[in-house]
Amino acid sequence: MKNYTQISGEIGDLSGLPFWKKADAVDIAYVSYGLLIVTLVVVSYILGAFNLLPRDPQDIDLELMMAPPGTVGHLLGTDYMGRDMLSRLIVGIQAYFLPGFLAIAIALTFGTVLGVLAGYRGGRFETAITYFTNLVDSFPRLVLILLVIAAFKPDIYYIMIVVGLTNVPVVASLIKGKIQFLKQKNFIEADMALGLPTRTIILKHILWHNCRSLLIIQATLGMGEAILMETSLSYLGFGVQEPTPSWGNMVQVGANYFMQGKFWPSTAPALAILFTILGFHLLGDGLNNILEGKRNR
Amino acid sequence: MKNAPLLKIEDLRTYFYSKSKQAFIRSVDGVSLEIARGETLGVVGESGSGKSITALSVMGLVGGGPGVISGKIGFKTEKTRKNLLQDLDDHVKLAWDNGKIMGVDKDVVGWEKNAGRVMSGVRGKEIAMIFQNPKASLNPFTTVGSQITEAIQLHTDIKDPLQARERAIHWLSRVKIDTPRLRIDNYPYGLSGGMCQRAMIAMALACEPSLLIADEPTTGLDATIQSKITDLLAELKSELGVTTMLISHDISVISRLSDSVAVMYGGTVVEYGPARDILASTLESKHPYTSALLESIPTERHIKAKEHLRAIEGDVLDTVNIPAGCRFYARCNRVTDTIREKCERHEPDLREISPGHRARCWLYFD
Repeated sequence: MKNYTQISGEIGDLSGLPFWKKADAVDIAYVSYGLLIVTLVVVSYILGAFNLLPRDPQDIDLELMMAPPGTVGHLLGTDYMGRDMLSRLIVGIQAYFLPGFLAIAIALTFGTVLGVLAGYRGGRFETAITYFTNLVDSFPRLVLILLVIAAFKPDIYYIMIVVGLTNVPVVASLIKGKIQFLKQKNFIEADMALGLPTRTIILKHILWHNCRSLLIIQATLGMGEAILMETSLSYLGFGVQEPTPSWGNMVQVGANYFMQGKFWPSTAPALAILFTILGFHLLGDGLNNILEGKRNR
Repeated sequence: MKNAPLLKIEDLRTYFYSKSKQAFIRSVDGVSLEIARGETLGVVGESGSGKSITALSVMGLVGGGPGVISGKIGFKTEKTRKNLLQDLDDHVKLAWDNGKIMGVDKDVVGWEKNAGRVMSGVRGKEIAMIFQNPKASLNPFTTVGSQITEAIQLHTDIKDPLQARERAIHWLSRVKIDTPRLRIDNYPYGLSGGMCQRAMIAMALACEPSLLIADEPTTGLDATIQSKITDLLAELKSELGVTTMLISHDISVISRLSDSVAVMYGGTVVEYGPARDILASTLESKHPYTSALLESIPTERHIKAKEHLRAIEGDVLDTVNIPAGCRFYARCNRVTDTIREKCERHEPDLREISPGHRARCWLYFD
């Protein structure tokens, strides 16, 4: 006769474990990287805000123009006016941090409200909101931003408000679609039959339980998009204006010297943009997988 | 002596306006039912006969869209006494033209507000509902326990989360879910269909409602689970004495649980009376539709004789163009020459054919 060893302990039930033990290693790596980037961004923002910089970012040093990375006192070198690259990179985040949050807040708030109205109420609301979102969607975003800049002034906050507003249709249609999908399952009806107030059903059962992953993704994508949009505008010369540094205008100015073999003034901010956007995207992706996505597998 | 009715539906009409057809779809067309305290009323009929819409009308969930309800739904407990359809008419305007309804102007927001006002304190607390397809009726992204706990905190005096959780565990074990302490933290996807339905029942009963509406509670479950859920409902009925309105097209479920039965066809009740009279196996004094339904159940005799099962010919009544005569006339196999003309021209009313037993058929009227 064979002996089977009894494995002690309970089997198979993962639901008691904390969520990080259930997650894939890849997702953990994504989120860790994303959190690292977010931390760096936040720390840079605070450093910049309190002016705790290695050097004054506006300090022109004509003796040390285009100094290569590693020069004493200038870790990442200097730009064409001898200003310290590292300090300018750190201060550059000021251009994105609050404006980026503003864009995200606008997109998520208005998008969610419109999406809930269209999806939950349906009927005329849905028709009206669909027309509105199609209208906003059909404007080329860059043109809209240029119009606003022409009408007011090239201020990053104006730009980000437009970025946020043009993202409203995206969020609204995602939320609307999700709610319409959820309404086919009848737990919403069951909730109503249970006598839950509409407020609870919408805020807790629909938005919190079923849409939060969607909102997380949109928030992280929105931050990346805000940075990219400013970069494109800077390249056209409509972004944050010199001498205030932003990663976009640093790339633009630095690019003039790229062909002379002086790559660092443009490459450093370009890499910063790349890794930051990557970080935000991976953070959203990983969080989504950990919190929601793998649950139904 | 019968108890005073807990729920009394009088002449309920729930219509949906179809813009393309410029006509009403008369889903429920003059239904009157009564449920006494402690009694189980079985509502049986084919798909599309208006059973579920009747239930949803009682819950005030025929909200969005072009639904129009009239009639009276009296609901009476020791504490409350109200007409669940109060003032709903104020929010609908009908546009008439030459006796035809050309349009419906419905103030959806006001309608829903009104329904919400009338139904507050009733939905979930006094009348609870179990749906078909239990998996879809639970929020997939939160645990079963949190959903039951939420209902308990909302409708009972237990506000403390831990106490409410204990209460939820109590109800989960009451509906015979094994290891309720583990299961309470499961998400619906981790439960089988039968367990989800048990959880739904627990959620419905946890607030100790006066009336439980079970809308096809066994549909979508496989046969063994169906009979287990039926067992459970029977047990809960004898233990707790819950007043139940049981809706099903499965006559075996109805016959196990019901005290009285209403057979619905084409939006009306065609036969209504005590379960033993209606579901008895004899053909005597029964609406032709009921007997046709009963004949379509496979029995031992069918299986031994290898007979074909008898299906009811034809389709369910088109509730837009309702014929002038008896709604079942086109499919009826018991029309005799003496009453044929009456069947074709005049709709019979629901008349008592023996004490407590009413039918809507010219066969039994003199």
